[in-house]
Amino acid sequence: MIQTLLDFDLRVLAPELVIVAAAALLTIVDLLLKETVSRKWIGILGLLAVLVAGIFVGLGWGHEPYQILGDSYRIDDFSLAFKAILLFGTALVLLFSLSDKDTEKLEAESEYYSLLLTALLGAMIMVSSAELITLFVGLELLSLSSYILVGIRRKRADSAEAAWKYVVLGSVSSAFILYGMSFLYGLTGTTHLFEIQQHVAEIAGTDYQAFLYLSFFLMIVGFGFKISSAPFHTWAPDVYQGAATPVTIFLAVVSKVAAFAFVVRIVLIAFIPLVTTGVWNEVISWSFMLVAALSMIVGNTVALRQKDTKRLMAYSSIAHAGYMLVPPATMGFVGFDLFPSLVFYLVAYLCMTLGAFVVIEIVARRAGTYDMNAFAGLYQRSPSLALIMTFFLLSLAGLPVTAGFIGKFYILMSAIASTHYWLAAIMIATTVISYYYYFGFARQMYFRKAEDSQKIAVSWPTVAVVGMAVLGTILLGIIPDFFLQAFGQLDWVSGFSQAANSLGY
Amino acid sequence: MVVTSYLALSAILFSIGLYGVLTKRNAVIVLFCIELMLNAANINFVAFSKFGLFPDLAGHIFTLFTITIAAAEAALGIAILIALYRHVETAEADQFKSLKG
Repeated sequence: MIQTLLDFDLRVLAPELVIVAAAALLTIVDLLLKETVSRKWIGILGLLAVLVAGIFVGLGWGHEPYQILGDSYRIDDFSLAFKAILLFGTALVLLFSLSDKDTEKLEAESEYYSLLLTALLGAMIMVSSAELITLFVGLELLSLSSYILVGIRRKRADSAEAAWKYVVLGSVSSAFILYGMSFLYGLTGTTHLFEIQQHVAEIAGTDYQAFLYLSFFLMIVGFGFKISSAPFHTWAPDVYQGAATPVTIFLAVVSKVAAFAFVVRIVLIAFIPLVTTGVWNEVISWSFMLVAALSMIVGNTVALRQKDTKRLMAYSSIAHAGYMLVPPATMGFVGFDLFPSLVFYLVAYLCMTLGAFVVIEIVARRAGTYDMNAFAGLYQRSPSLALIMTFFLLSLAGLPVTAGFIGKFYILMSAIASTHYWLAAIMIATTVISYYYYFGFARQMYFRKAEDSQKIAVSWPTVAVVGMAVLGTILLGIIPDFFLQAFGQLDWVSGFSQAANSLGY
Repeated sequence: MVVTSYLALSAILFSIGLYGVLTKRNAVIVLFCIELMLNAANINFVAFSKFGLFPDLAGHIFTLFTITIAAAEAALGIAILIALYRHVETAEADQFKSLKG
């Protein structure tokens, strides 16, 4: 049966269409607007588009999984959940950008907003495709937009240098993913993940299995880079430090969440037949566990000697990538309940990392330096800001009554349930190490004298962003059962099986 | 099998590219080497679409997409390099070292 474009219910594409239309519209509006008009309006339009897309994602719940465009694009609970997280993260980044007084970034303000939207579009394509070409195009749309966003402050040497490092290492990692995909294609003769799955099931156990390993190990290099996990993490500290803080937040939060969905989707569809032959537990799980353990160790120990706050947060985010890799790594041992714990931690990570970065930006902008000393005596100057920062740090460190604690607890449980006690031990040990550098902030805020005794003024959009992050961290920490049950009720398995309307690819 | 010679060619190109990215000092050469890596993957796709286990046209189509993406990537790389050159006035990649810790 031949399907044409009009056979599909294209309304399911509404969130993506809103974002792509908005990105195009903002570029044109920028050309038509007079020089004197504030470019803030473009940012507000962008924020509106993200909110409208969010409403469409909300309306998309509760339907059967649906595949369109020759089975290459699918709408299921998995993609909707990740799209909701991506849109939430981007909305907060946009809201924060609206109050950001970074004069160098403001030179290209309208480009900044439209590039954020195209990067978001790439991320949404990544979480929603089930076909290698579409996945790769989405990945590159996100990557290319992020390269420009990192270098958008052209007048600053550190920004340009960060962009250069990002573009070189990012392209190399894309080349690794592409080279790995080419072997997967060569073995199966198709780019559709589900058809690949069928062929992989036939190949498993034959001589061609070596090529499957080759493909997997090439791709895991690229995957490791995109989620910034050790030993492929070297770009992250430089890029996080050199980029404007809203861009750093976007990379640390939105880009990382999309990369996780991308990795989980490819590995769990294409390589899942290897579970039956035992190869999964021996090779795939182990490589993920090694990357996870290395990320925790490297991220948490190298963070100890960082003086720059953004660099320190970069190493912290490398360590968190390690924690988040534990549920997918142990999946072969504990079954399909990895998603509630993974998604719970992703949302918790989003709230606390975003909040911590925003507070760092507020404090550092006032002090004129991103050095740790900028926090000296913050409690005497702005007690509320210091208390909020302490709260985010407690959550990042994984202490009780915060989202970070519950998230880490469930991840630890999945490591223990799979009887990989060494992984659980590394996780606990490195978490204890991380207390030292998180409390480095607290030492500065509470036990050092402030050089500048004035209170720090915070504009209302920033207050709203910090408020949302605090609210998210508190709610996830106080009523975790509600969220875990809500995540558990979603039909995650549907993201990894053919939809009813498929063409049989 | 015919396909092995193509695979060998692409593996050699990929390795040369990776070696160049890791060792070359000139930033433009580094960008060239990235192109080599991406094009090694393209050779694989085209070879597999003719001689793979299940020959199929999708490999050619994939290549068209990746050529376009690689072009965009190269343009971006050069643009960022020019922006960086204005600050450091050198195209030697080992001079780009203000960010460290």
